[in-house]
Amino acid sequence: MKPVDFTITELHKAFREAGYITDEDVIITVYLALRLEKPLLLEGAPGVGKTELAKVLAAVFNTELIRLQCYEGLDENKALYEWNYQRQLLKIQISKEMTSMEDMEQGLFSRQYLLERPLLKAIQSERKVVLLIDEVDKTDEEFEAFLFEVLSDFQVSVPELGTLYAHHVPIVVLTSNNERELSDGLKRRCVYLYLDYPTVEREIAIIRSRLPEVGERLAAEVARAVALVRNEQEIRKKPSIAETLDWVRSLLALDKDRLTKTAIEQTLAMLLKTKADFDVFQKKIGAARLAEYVSAEKVYGP
Amino acid sequence: MYRQKKCMVPDFLENSVVRFVHLLRRLGVRIGSGEVIDALAALMLVDLSERETVRVALKATLVKRPGEREVFDKAFDVFFAPPEEREQQQETYGQKKETDRRLLEQAGQELSFRGAPLALSDSEKRIFANLPEKERQKLLEFIKKTEEGKKVEHNFRPVLEKVIKGSLAYWRRGPHGRPPPHETPVTGEQEMDALVEAVGAGTVNGSPGLLEEDMRSISDKDLLQAKELIRKLARQLSARITRRYRRSKKRRRLDLRRTIRYNMRYGGTLFILRYRSRRRQKPQLLLLCDVSGSMTRYSGFVLQFIYGLHSVVGGIESFVFSENLARVTPHFRSGEEFSAVMQEMVNRSGEWGRGTNLAEALRVLRQDYAHVLTADAYMIIVSDTKTLALFDAARELAQLKRKVKEVVWLNTLPLQDWEHAQSVGTFRKIVRMYPCNTISDLEKVMRGKIFS
Repeated sequence: MKPVDFTITELHKAFREAGYITDEDVIITVYLALRLEKPLLLEGAPGVGKTELAKVLAAVFNTELIRLQCYEGLDENKALYEWNYQRQLLKIQISKEMTSMEDMEQGLFSRQYLLERPLLKAIQSERKVVLLIDEVDKTDEEFEAFLFEVLSDFQVSVPELGTLYAHHVPIVVLTSNNERELSDGLKRRCVYLYLDYPTVEREIAIIRSRLPEVGERLAAEVARAVALVRNEQEIRKKPSIAETLDWVRSLLALDKDRLTKTAIEQTLAMLLKTKADFDVFQKKIGAARLAEYVSAEKVYGP
Repeated sequence: MYRQKKCMVPDFLENSVVRFVHLLRRLGVRIGSGEVIDALAALMLVDLSERETVRVALKATLVKRPGEREVFDKAFDVFFAPPEEREQQQETYGQKKETDRRLLEQAGQELSFRGAPLALSDSEKRIFANLPEKERQKLLEFIKKTEEGKKVEHNFRPVLEKVIKGSLAYWRRGPHGRPPPHETPVTGEQEMDALVEAVGAGTVNGSPGLLEEDMRSISDKDLLQAKELIRKLARQLSARITRRYRRSKKRRRLDLRRTIRYNMRYGGTLFILRYRSRRRQKPQLLLLCDVSGSMTRYSGFVLQFIYGLHSVVGGIESFVFSENLARVTPHFRSGEEFSAVMQEMVNRSGEWGRGTNLAEALRVLRQDYAHVLTADAYMIIVSDTKTLALFDAARELAQLKRKVKEVVWLNTLPLQDWEHAQSVGTFRKIVRMYPCNTISDLEKVMRGKIFS
């Protein structure tokens, strides 16, 4: 089925089947981005499932995921295309005395010497692909301006080859950790979604969906514990969903079916990754209190 | 695309969305016309009878900043309220407007000198009308005594007006420096004004949220959250600074000498290219933070911000000042937690909570720390401009400005008080000055003004 043929309900079901448990709001926004053929801009704290959403889209539509990982200093050569300089030189050396200059020049700037980078690859793909532009806030503002030009027209001009048009408009997902504010121009071209950490109920569902072997009780206790840790403002690096899952896996590896004080002490390193956060945890929460807190309620919600 | 779809959008929907966008813009949400078109197109794809779906569709296409989501939700609830609630809003607004008109009229009559009203703005009359009864009576008593005084001439009127204006300016800030309740911007269209008012009352009810709140008034309960916001801002600014200095308009430059030497092994064919690495300039930032008595609460936040910057960006020199100047850079570089750094600084520096003598502080900076005053240094002063020896300070500031690349003043005095403060006018003639008494102000400054 094509992305535009999905209804909201079908999309929600497909996401669930792909293991991405989320709210109706998220699905509606994704649905709109697909139907309007607009890039989807995802913002939110690290570890809330932004990148995962793009991967799930690729899985749902059974298509390729092309990823452009952004970093400071990323430029057009790395994002769009580059001429294969070494190969061109080799060609010159080999056919120095055999071909006329004119023929050689024409041959040198043909498709076979073009190195397609993620953006061009996504545009030139024979089928509709998912293009993930990850952590776009890490790039420079100049690159961002270039990016929204490409995302507006889905065409690229290569001086030696002319304008290359998209065979299919890719499904574009941009993610940002909000380290710097993105330009209005880029935001205007996107459908926007802010992803927050899941609620306790939602996190229980995620745990149980990804790790079906986990008992209901342990899943609920872990979800409540993680929510409490995330709510502690002095903890700098809040646990991500992936870290929650890792924590559960480590508890399972130790054959724990309850979140006791000892279990927390033995496995907390899966959740908190800096000494400063560890110290805050010991000072403000503590393993004993956390164990008591999570066991106080039967199943849901702080 | 819009032209094709336009005919499909019912008039009532188009009208409602445009008016809703108008309301959001009034509330400070930045929305372009392209986004309005997207919103209309999105609404054509969802079930309009599902209220929450409509909310999500509008939010996804119109709101692109995390901080605007709350305003959006409140505006949505108010704008798309049932008709009876809308009528109630209009009625409440009408009543409020009428009450306000009567209060202003009464204040105008009361604030008069020898039968003729004093020349006061509506805003000043409104402050008077909202004063506690005791304070109102005090002011009226003062006017009455002035009228009855001996040898009181008609030319006393401007003097009296100035005194009353000064007193009302004090009350505008509130007895504890608290800003007055948010005054809703008026569009001139009663229905829209009523909506803005209703959303304002919902969001604010006097308090505009942490971002917009005067840093002095942030309660202890919100302190941690405020500090977290500030830490985030510091991180954003450091990202800006480091990027800016790495950015170069020049393309990578070929290092011919290294390229030729390297390619000797390929018989001189330039097979592998070598480039000159870009020089990375370190930002030269010079921060001066006022920690005098009047700045106590602000300096806590500002130092938190500086601490955040120090943890990410090197090459920052920080000073605190009140009656003198103290260099605090080593404390920030110690790698200790913020609370420990603050404790250490307060213990070591004797500048905390005293009066302000900016002239002396700048003189010490110029004479004892001349090596940090370089031609590529940005100097940021955080202060409320209240100082002894104002004109000496202005002279010192002008001298310093010639030695550094740029001086930017972040003023913690609320913007509405700037026109009444002589010090603000004096310093503004010399340096660029930006309001900075709320976290939102700090954010706006960080978003681009300082280094533009």
